Amino acid sequence: MAEVEQHGPRVRLLVTALAVLLVAVGTIALIVGIRAQRHAPQPPASAAIPFAGSATGSSAAAPSHSVGGKATKGPVLARSTPVQLSIPSIGVTSSLINLGLNPDRSVQVPPLTRDSRAGWYKYSPTPGQLGPSIILGHVDSAEYGPGIFFKLGAMRPGQMLTVTRADRTAAVFRVDRVVSYPKGHFPTLDVYGNTDHAALRLITCGGKFDLSSHNYLSNIVVYASLISSHRV
Amino acid sequence: MKKSLLLLAPSIVLGAAALAMPGIASAAGSTSYQAQLNALNHSSGSGSVMVQLNGSQATITEHFSGLAATFGGKPYPHVQHIHIGAQGTCPTTAADANKDGVISTTEGAAAYGAIGTTLSTSGDTSPAAGTTLTVAPSGASTDYSRTITLDSKTLASLTAGTAVVVVHGLDPATLSKTAQGEKSDLVPSLPLAATSPALCGTLVASQMGSVPGGSAGTGGGSTAGTQDEGLLAVGGALVAAGALAGGFALRRRSAASS
Repeated sequence: MAEVEQHGPRVRLLVTALAVLLVAVGTIALIVGIRAQRHAPQPPASAAIPFAGSATGSSAAAPSHSVGGKATKGPVLARSTPVQLSIPSIGVTSSLINLGLNPDRSVQVPPLTRDSRAGWYKYSPTPGQLGPSIILGHVDSAEYGPGIFFKLGAMRPGQMLTVTRADRTAAVFRVDRVVSYPKGHFPTLDVYGNTDHAALRLITCGGKFDLSSHNYLSNIVVYASLISSHRV
Repeated sequence: MKKSLLLLAPSIVLGAAALAMPGIASAAGSTSYQAQLNALNHSSGSGSVMVQLNGSQATITEHFSGLAATFGGKPYPHVQHIHIGAQGTCPTTAADANKDGVISTTEGAAAYGAIGTTLSTSGDTSPAAGTTLTVAPSGASTDYSRTITLDSKTLASLTAGTAVVVVHGLDPATLSKTAQGEKSDLVPSLPLAATSPALCGTLVASQMGSVPGGSAGTGGGSTAGTQDEGLLAVGGALVAAGALAGGFALRRRSAASS
């Protein structure tokens, strides 16, 4: 006890310095950790209302689901495989891979890699063709964090996106609406059903994450329509 | 040589199919058909049907809701069929020949034709099972999924665009007084409401070669909960340890000065 009292001032100084250092380093770690918290944006209900200026907006809101001899709306392009997707409003540029079907007939999704890319569902029309062209991307991956479509839920009606195709045509689409669906109530016909225009659907995951199934409980779908095209 | 020719044959067939149908790529020669089911006879329901065809094997997935829920206190059996061989359309009110306010199954036949395939929940799928109530989906809504073999007549109608899905069974309360008293045109022991069409939709070829089933698994979950738990835990521990050490130093100082 007497010994401690003897070394009192030095010990006190050391302990005080240590305390200051611990608090400083700890605070920095907390700030960095809290700032790193990222959650994918979810679309508000208002984003599900079709874009007013969209010629095909009404048809997108109430798909006719029939094309047999019926007039099509807006421009339509010939078949050509998509190679790149660009969405300036959410800072997305991605080369596109081809996706097929899983044995259970669910749509394949891109591989979970550090280099997160979007993919085109190869049994859907190519972007710009008549009908619903499907492009999928991950919202995140457990290992690599935010995915290519992390911010898809932040898209709003009226925004533009461009798909560059193998024939060096850039197909420009305008967003009609952005909707989040519980996976149990995925409207297959709205998303994958026939359309009377060249349509594009961007799909990612959203909503609550189910820790038991390691899956998100919703899908976010961006509905868009071709409005123009140009050579690149 | 023969073997390589055999291997080559499917790709030639596929290539020819691709030429015949520009813009439609399909998985291993399969084709999709879809129908939007709309209400007939003032029923309040709606629904959709997808048919994934692989040869004569058809995987049928259907969802409908909003139909009559009960019949005589039990879940309402809604017999359903693929009707074939007519105009491939759903009837309008003009088809109501006897003007009782209900388009009966017989009155609608000019538009959608006769039963080609019964979409039963089990067993027989031929027209013979058309009014077997025990194998009909029952209740106000249904999620139906079944893989069945289609006969050549149904297949021909499907290809020709004249196959029509019809779901039967109306809520008797929605019928006119006259119609409520009438017997079924198909099964005289049943009331007219039980067999009259409630939902109808023409099966059209999908713009997709293969329509995927349902939702997509496009999330790994890293951004769902709290991230960097390790960093946050270490930070918190450091701050706590610092506070403890600081408290200790202060106590020693106050102890020394007193």
